[in-house]
Amino acid sequence: MAFAAPTQLLGPQIHSSAAAPRRRKYMPNDGTIVPTTIIVRARKKSLAAAPWTRKHIPYGRTIGPTTIVIRVCKKYIAPFSASVVSVAAAAAGGFILISSFPPSPPPIDGGGGGGGWFRGGGGDGGGGFWSNLFSPFVALAKEEGGGGHGWDPHGLPANIVVQLNKLSGLKRYKISEILFFDRRRSTTVAGTNDSFFEMVSLRNGGVYTKAQLQKEVENLASSGMFEKVDLEGKTKPDGTMALTVSFTESTWQSADAFRCINVGLLPQTKQMEMDADMTEREKLEYFRIQEREYKRRIDRSRPCLLPVTVQREVLQMLRERGKVSARLLQRIRDRVQKWYHDEGYACAQVVNFGNLNTREVVCEVVEGDITQLNIQFLDKLGNLCEGNTQLAVIRRELPRQLRSGHVFNIEAGKQALRNINSLSLFSNIEVNPRPDEKKEGGIIVEIKLREMDQKSAEVSIEWSLVPGRHGQPTLASIQPGGTISFEHRNIKGLNRSIVGSVTSSNLLNPQDDLSFKLDYVHPYLDGVTNPRNRTFRVSCFNSRKLSPVFTGGPGADEVPPVWIDRAGFKANVTENYTRQSKFTYGLVMEEITPRDETSSICTHGARALPSGGLSMDGPPTTLSGIGVDRMAFAQANVTRDNTKFLNGAIVGERDVFQVDQGLGIGSNFPFFNRHQLTLTRFIPLKQVEEGIDKSAPPVLVLHGHYGSCVGDLASYDAFTLGGPYSVRGYNMGELGACRNILELAAELRIPIKKTHVYLFAEHGNDLGSSKDVKGNPTEFFRRAGHGSSYGAGLKLGMVRAEYAVDHNTDTGAVFLRFGERF
Amino acid sequence: MTAQVTREWTGIQQFPAATQNKLHELLGKLKQENVSTLTILVMGKGGVGKSSTVNSILGERVASVSAFQSEGLRPIMCSRTRAGFTLNIIDTPGLVEGGYVNEQAIEIIKRFLLNKTIDVLLYVDRLDAYRMDSLDRQVIKAITDTFSKRIWQRSLVVLTHAQLSPPDGLNYDDFFAKRSEALMRYVRLGARIRKQDFEESSIPVVLVENSGRCKTNSGGEKILPDGTPWIPNLVEVITTVIANGSKPITVDQKLIEGPNPNDRGKFFIPLILAFQYFFVVKGIQRAIKQDIKQERKPLWELRDMGLANRKF
Repeated sequence: MAFAAPTQLLGPQIHSSAAAPRRRKYMPNDGTIVPTTIIVRARKKSLAAAPWTRKHIPYGRTIGPTTIVIRVCKKYIAPFSASVVSVAAAAAGGFILISSFPPSPPPIDGGGGGGGWFRGGGGDGGGGFWSNLFSPFVALAKEEGGGGHGWDPHGLPANIVVQLNKLSGLKRYKISEILFFDRRRSTTVAGTNDSFFEMVSLRNGGVYTKAQLQKEVENLASSGMFEKVDLEGKTKPDGTMALTVSFTESTWQSADAFRCINVGLLPQTKQMEMDADMTEREKLEYFRIQEREYKRRIDRSRPCLLPVTVQREVLQMLRERGKVSARLLQRIRDRVQKWYHDEGYACAQVVNFGNLNTREVVCEVVEGDITQLNIQFLDKLGNLCEGNTQLAVIRRELPRQLRSGHVFNIEAGKQALRNINSLSLFSNIEVNPRPDEKKEGGIIVEIKLREMDQKSAEVSIEWSLVPGRHGQPTLASIQPGGTISFEHRNIKGLNRSIVGSVTSSNLLNPQDDLSFKLDYVHPYLDGVTNPRNRTFRVSCFNSRKLSPVFTGGPGADEVPPVWIDRAGFKANVTENYTRQSKFTYGLVMEEITPRDETSSICTHGARALPSGGLSMDGPPTTLSGIGVDRMAFAQANVTRDNTKFLNGAIVGERDVFQVDQGLGIGSNFPFFNRHQLTLTRFIPLKQVEEGIDKSAPPVLVLHGHYGSCVGDLASYDAFTLGGPYSVRGYNMGELGACRNILELAAELRIPIKKTHVYLFAEHGNDLGSSKDVKGNPTEFFRRAGHGSSYGAGLKLGMVRAEYAVDHNTDTGAVFLRFGERF
Repeated sequence: MTAQVTREWTGIQQFPAATQNKLHELLGKLKQENVSTLTILVMGKGGVGKSSTVNSILGERVASVSAFQSEGLRPIMCSRTRAGFTLNIIDTPGLVEGGYVNEQAIEIIKRFLLNKTIDVLLYVDRLDAYRMDSLDRQVIKAITDTFSKRIWQRSLVVLTHAQLSPPDGLNYDDFFAKRSEALMRYVRLGARIRKQDFEESSIPVVLVENSGRCKTNSGGEKILPDGTPWIPNLVEVITTVIANGSKPITVDQKLIEGPNPNDRGKFFIPLILAFQYFFVVKGIQRAIKQDIKQERKPLWELRDMGLANRKF
């Protein structure tokens, strides 16, 4: 196994401490190394796996490099977003840590000592469950004790002190109490707070044999922390034993300097054996050589990441204590390791304290340098296989920090996981650092991927109720609908895909309303290895939407609805600057057909007259006037988005500018420039610290939207005022349809527990441009052309419940909306 | 229904002699100014007395009037000649229907008026209506939108039902002043004329009483409470309006449809596009680059890049 080398170091070290306490090394970690597996999973299920792994614990006497497996399991293709959310949830909720130990690692001679310092990668699990999990000897007793539950009474009179070697080798003793007795201070150390407690693997209530207890004493004695350790038993009336561990702590000369070095990837120095019968002169020579070698080692080591602040803290600890004791070293190690683990350096470990008995304590750290990055594909059975995806596609998603030569950080692993997951090519992703067997102290990062099927097809059927004349569905209006979709993903292993779907809400008469979509996505337009990230997209589409232009004003009679059918072809190139900011430009060719309720083409909007008739002389629906428009135009959209979540609240800025440039191609040679600019600011009103349990700041949202069209403007392209994404409190298009538009909104979000309440005020104005839309639909349908609203609401998960007062009529109403306004 | 054929103005003979003389005198004056045709457009809300006024002026029952029934939706044009002078009066349906301005009616009026020239607009309202609301403004606005602001230079406001006893505590003149002031304010708002311009060219207000119970003076002329015979007075005001130097309104296709907003600014589109590309798009792209630069990297990334210097 990897990390075997420290054994060679340890052995002589301990000997030397016994022989000549001039300089000793103190080894917090001992020789035999058994990898601990820390699995970070996105699924709660792994909790259930915990008891199973406990079976393996007995052998986990020692600790070695940790392995962190970050895994996202995804069963289906569809819930992309759901799985992403679950990753985030796992990240937020802390890790689920499971230790598992492979069976029977051969104990390496001489290196048997050492406390089982169980330090998980991500942090201490805390709580009884975890401490139980991390204390292997309970389980050991159970397993080696045959039945696992029984124990033997000691069979001795109560309240007598029994030496360890006087105990019977055949009995299994139950330990009901463990006391620690510090001989130097002559005090009994009780409680689990003492740093020694974790060194001793015995636990209250455990059942042990004499051999085990003796082994434990040996371990303690050889750990380097104690000069002397004894174990005494005291019989108890109920047949159990009380154990007293009496010890003398090892101490060294006081030090006033502290240095932390990174010894990762450094070859271990060969230690010369020291003969017991060396002369004084030889001994002196030996120590000098050792000293020199150690100096060279320090010189060759690389600077470590440990910041000066922590170093100062450690120095303070050293100064306060005077003498360097084993406990102090333990605390220093804990502090240093805690910093590393808190910062995500899950593979970092303090491997040695050198230079003891001098004025400077040297802390040797293996930080977990990555020596290799492996990308592997697994088949459905979990066996290695050849992947279809080209490696360059995955490589460009990996943060640089995962490449060899960098220090492994769990955050980099998580980022890699997120990035790869966002490719949505893999059903299972593991980022798995494991110790390098060839280069000690090195880490090989393994990325295991399970590819999803390249081709998939899906058919779904649904039933819908269509409201009839008076809003009540009739039997005849129950319609079967359905979707047929197919996907061909990851063509050529370059993440190109073709996705198509056909949907009809009425399968009995599919020609009535048949929507189709065919998309071809071609990422990495500039080559997979080019950092420029441009994606080419072609799509054929059709859609049918209710036009908000032909909507009545407040209190007006119902306006006969106009449906806008669009069918066409779109080709564009998207350049991603960041995850959220992008620039898209392309060409759109489409045919627009306004239809009325009966699906026949309608050329003009209609309005019900008070007499009951319909006036058909409303605004023209199309530019051509004949009810069908064909046009080609260029479209560009640039989005700047640097919003981020701050404790669950969105903060940042988002600017979107979109322009449709008519090219003069199509019915009536439309030549126009339709542009809109949206600016949104999310301003936190309080400085808050970032953290999982920290509260979100109150946020002020300011929003402005300006739109304008110069040139030919058909009614379906007019800007509409009113609606949940325009001016809340009004219906879609209730305020008007115009050529120029200005919307202003402000919202104050106040966090309450996990969600927030908000107050808002909005205003929308047509800037007097309603009359510049042909037929003046605003006036024709008796709309105001401008309007304000204010109100308050509560966010409940995805749903917003809000009360909005519309200022034109001064009446309020409660709305339930999905999604975000901004 | 509509008498398109120009007939002799016989109704004038029914007027009392004093009125006839006065009218002849006024028409003669117009003829001297080379005006041989006079087209008067009468507009207003429903039921204010438009048709009655038309009937009173012509001295004939050209427009059917009934107390409770609204007239049809079609405008009526009556043309009468007298001594080589042609008088056209166009009576229009009420502009209000169901609490809104009836665009359909306006549409019909527009089409009816196509290729006609309007010399004078009579905006008719009642004197005894005490309150004005936004509907009045909308009506004025609709008229303005149809014929442009210019129409108000060729118009006069006619207040019908002049013979009334004003509410307690007000004498007739005060009431009339107040009423016309309120109406003028709405005209100004509805027509969106600047206060200053409006004051310069004030719209005259004329009182009318169409009722058969209208008092008459010794000559048999219908008179207002202040004693002036109102028909000659009305015609006189009309002639002064015509003489005020403004041009009559010719209703053509362009006026009805308004300027085509789709053509406005088309020339500037290339310029607009260039501006959008170089200033807006480039500006946002620059801001994105700034964002990338300023992005707060996590500490582990900074340490990896060697920027930490062991400070954190």
